[in-house]
Amino acid sequence: MTWFLFAGDMLVMAFMAGLAVWALWGSSDEAVEKTAGIPLDDEGHDERHDERHDERDDG
Amino acid sequence: MAAGERYHDRVAGWLTGFAVLWSLLGMTAGVYIAAELVWPTIDFGQEWLSYGRLRNLHTNAVIFGFGVSALMATAFYSVQRTCHAPLFAPGLAWFVAIAWQAGVLAGGVSLLAGWNGGKEYAELEWPFDIAIAVVWVCFAVVFFGTIARRRIQPIYVSNWFYGALIIVIAMLHIVNSLAIPVTWSKSYSLFAGAQDAVVQWWYGHNAVGFLLTGGFLGMLYYFLPKHADRPIWSYRLSIVAFWAFTYSYIWAGPHHLHYNAVPEWVQSLGMVMSLVLLAPSWATMVNGVMTVAGAWEKLRTDPALKFIVLSLAFYGLATFEGPMMSIKSVNVVSHFTDWTVGHVHSGALGWNALITFGTFYFLVPRLVGAELYSTRLANWHFWLALAGVMLYVLAMWGAGVSQGLLWLSLDEIGELSFSFKDIMASMAPYYALRLVAGVVFLSGAALMAINLWMTVQGRAVVRVAPPPVAEGAV
Repeated sequence: MTWFLFAGDMLVMAFMAGLAVWALWGSSDEAVEKTAGIPLDDEGHDERHDERHDERDDG
Repeated sequence: MAAGERYHDRVAGWLTGFAVLWSLLGMTAGVYIAAELVWPTIDFGQEWLSYGRLRNLHTNAVIFGFGVSALMATAFYSVQRTCHAPLFAPGLAWFVAIAWQAGVLAGGVSLLAGWNGGKEYAELEWPFDIAIAVVWVCFAVVFFGTIARRRIQPIYVSNWFYGALIIVIAMLHIVNSLAIPVTWSKSYSLFAGAQDAVVQWWYGHNAVGFLLTGGFLGMLYYFLPKHADRPIWSYRLSIVAFWAFTYSYIWAGPHHLHYNAVPEWVQSLGMVMSLVLLAPSWATMVNGVMTVAGAWEKLRTDPALKFIVLSLAFYGLATFEGPMMSIKSVNVVSHFTDWTVGHVHSGALGWNALITFGTFYFLVPRLVGAELYSTRLANWHFWLALAGVMLYVLAMWGAGVSQGLLWLSLDEIGELSFSFKDIMASMAPYYALRLVAGVVFLSGAALMAINLWMTVQGRAVVRVAPPPVAEGAV
């Protein structure tokens, strides 16, 4: 059982190491930066501010 | 983007309101049962007021009423924005919001009436289990339907966490609730003995993992960058942490069954995987703290950000303490003591409640297009919440470590040095301090409810359009 647990742990570590390698080199810096910035630009700001005071959500 | 298309935020607003109401109700029930441990006669001989029934109402109201309503609100709010698309099937989203509240309310009443399946955090009887499964599937349809109609290609990391919450909780709930009904109010689990225990804690610990941790990490990964006005410090680290978290957490449940009648290797596996969990947990904490680094000046003036940053500190504390408690030689002291209760509350109050409060202080004014009614009240809430959670955790650490050591102490002929009754009597000061802590924390939540109510009073939810989609973005 000890060997079973050890082998299982090593598989987990291998998976994590592979994942880290994939995450580090699997996509370009530009694509990652663009994805990371999604929450910072996710609203039509002009429309929101224009309509904030006179148009309300009815749905 | 179709002309005139808007995000459906009203449903998120109502869910936020329900979450605030459940927080008050659930925490009041918690304070009352804390008072019952100080003054046992205040159940007045009423079964529905007894500790055994109110305790379940407390946990169900705060986890499923407050916690899940907050997660649904923030998931609906953020998935639209991170997909640049309005909610899929908004009518179904309203059904989810209302049916969930009705289910938690009716379920709470059934618990007070004595209906109880006997499984911790899954006490509701089989008719409620079926209703929960139906509503949850509808939640999945709305969420993944919105992901499917997204107008930008990447799926932002918060949606990975919300998605894992929805899928894994459905799997856990359905398997753990498999039962044979006998009457409308009674059923028996399909599993028996040690198998039942293993399945229950596979459910129980992963409900903590994917609901109280993963779901709220989804909240963190969307609202922290939004609030700090800067992207997450390392997006790559967030993805690695997501997969490491998802892969490791699902194995950790057996640490609840140390020194019980389950195979030794199952217990050891639970311990090892709990220790592995330290890595993704702290990776997320570091990622969160580094995101705020450079925006520290905002902490002086922005109570919402203060709540979120403090919640990260408690997240780090709870996710360090949990793996330590899973080590069998530590668990021999901590198990069955109030140390566990302290650990749960450092996570539930310090992490889940504080990040939700911070998110609500950010979200609610934006929903109605107004400033927060009172920053001063929010600051008061911050200090009351901090004092409440610290007092609570310190009281339970003191009580738990005392219990563990006193139960283990033997006299010169190898018999127990202290009786259970004597040890419980010595808990009185700690339990009184816990009651004070609960009242302080609840007072802060009440201030928030007043503050948010004054913010939204007389106002409606503003309509917000998705941003224009750039050429080639899809």
